[in-house]
Amino acid sequence: MPESNRDPKLPLFKDADETVQAIHRGDIDAVVVMRALGGPEVILLHGAEEPYRLLVERMSDGALTAGPDGVILYVNDRLCELSGYPSARLVGSDLASLFEGEPPKFAPEVRAEASLLRNGDDALPVAAWSQPISIGGTTTTLVWLTDLSTHRRAEQIATAERFARSVLEQATEAVVVLSPDGYITHASGRAEQIAERPPVGCMFSEAFALEAQNTEDSGALARFSTESLDILLATKPFHGVEAKLRGERNAKSAFLLSAGPLVDDNKANVGSIVTLTDITDRKRAEEQQTMMVAELNHRVKNILAIVQSVAAQTVRSSDSLEDFADAFTGRLKALATAHDILTQTRWIGIGLSELLAAVLAPYRSPDEARVSIFGPAILLPARAILPLSMVLHEMTTNAAKYGALSTRRGNIEITWQVSGGVDKSIELVWLERGGRKVKASASAGFGTKLIDHVISHDLDGKTEISFDPAGVRLTIAFPVGGLAKRGAAASGAATE
Amino acid sequence: MTEYNGYSLRLYVAGQTPKSIAAIANLKKICEQYLTGQYEIEIIDLMKEPALAVRHQIVAIPTLIRQLPEPLKRIIGDLSNTEKVLVGLDIRPN
Repeated sequence: MPESNRDPKLPLFKDADETVQAIHRGDIDAVVVMRALGGPEVILLHGAEEPYRLLVERMSDGALTAGPDGVILYVNDRLCELSGYPSARLVGSDLASLFEGEPPKFAPEVRAEASLLRNGDDALPVAAWSQPISIGGTTTTLVWLTDLSTHRRAEQIATAERFARSVLEQATEAVVVLSPDGYITHASGRAEQIAERPPVGCMFSEAFALEAQNTEDSGALARFSTESLDILLATKPFHGVEAKLRGERNAKSAFLLSAGPLVDDNKANVGSIVTLTDITDRKRAEEQQTMMVAELNHRVKNILAIVQSVAAQTVRSSDSLEDFADAFTGRLKALATAHDILTQTRWIGIGLSELLAAVLAPYRSPDEARVSIFGPAILLPARAILPLSMVLHEMTTNAAKYGALSTRRGNIEITWQVSGGVDKSIELVWLERGGRKVKASASAGFGTKLIDHVISHDLDGKTEISFDPAGVRLTIAFPVGGLAKRGAAASGAATE
Repeated sequence: MTEYNGYSLRLYVAGQTPKSIAAIANLKKICEQYLTGQYEIEIIDLMKEPALAVRHQIVAIPTLIRQLPEPLKRIIGDLSNTEKVLVGLDIRPN
């Protein structure tokens, strides 16, 4: 220690000895050392550093420690700032003397309000919290004080407002904040868009006219009048109720209504946040999916029914297993081809001439005029394609086995007409020539039964088949329900 | 310096270390009980102003210095042993 500054009244050696002893005994928890350059420095000994002490030092609130008798033992810098007094003035004074009038009753976990006396300024309204702690065997009380002055309060409110507003601005959903009595205090941009009128200041039900969407939810919403709904939204949680908004603007949109109450530190209700999430796209996708699944089911059932029927009928007319296998396979292939066509045209349908061309393709080589197809353009509805394909397959098979396609000189002429206005119908004629002579009796086999069944049952149509010695003549007529290709012109030119 | 007839005590502490806190509390208690109305206490926080340690050659914290009445007396530690403090400060019990 620099000699010049030393108090001359201090005895020397005795003190040094005593200090060493004190350190040994553990009576102290900090020492002062001289740095090489610069003055003395306080070093805390191990165990002395209380974590909370650092917290208290750095707190933005004023904090102090008081002994059991109310004497202030320590104050942090912030408290000195708040009171305007230096720590030397405050430490050692009585806790009660900090405050104007009656000092607050300090109890743990309880928030008290008080007026902090200030040096050269009005008393400051503060909120006081206290907590007993034990330091080195002594029970002390930690008190911290928060500045409640309106200035600070106004600052805090302004900051909170700005924050809330910027959050709402960023929101892509319709979000509103309700006061506890149901008035809208803040609204996001999207909320303003879908509201009936500028939402801020209105009751929720005035700005948003809700209608529940499904029966469970309409139970939930319909139970409440608009007034009680407003209060409900402001005070109770509400999750995922599907709703629509009345009015043209929002007619096509579906929403999910959710509300969550806001509480303050004292668990008192201070309002709520209500969200209307746009689920229109989601619902549409759900609906489409449901429709598609239903449609798919329907089609699968259809095809299974057809296959079943074909199998049953083929069995009845087959003499042997080989026969059955042949015939059944042939028919299944026709079904498969027809199904392919349907899939390619996405089940919209196909023109009659295209269908004929597809089914008869194996028998139409470029240099043979064996099969001619002629008639106006007409789009066949999807439901007609499978049945018609079956029929054509039968006719073709028969022609190949017994008819015009079984000889080199036979040919087939397929023509059709479309009649009717809105309720169109097709009359198609299949004419074979130059094949083997066929006998009516022989041909009244399964093929014709199937054809008849399919045309009448699946196509609501009529069949007429005659076995002219010159060749088979089949006429079928069936409705197609007003589906005709635009710009109908004769198509499917006669082949050469 | 004005004449002061009571005890002028200076306690050197280091912020809020356990023994510093204890020393402050104990000192107050002792003064209230044995020196009622006849004392003044000054608390020096060396964490805030370490240079003040030089005047009284403070090495250990907490340290209590009796400035008045003279002669200077020093007691090191948290002052929890009241007997020792009374003897060290030369306070006669009332």
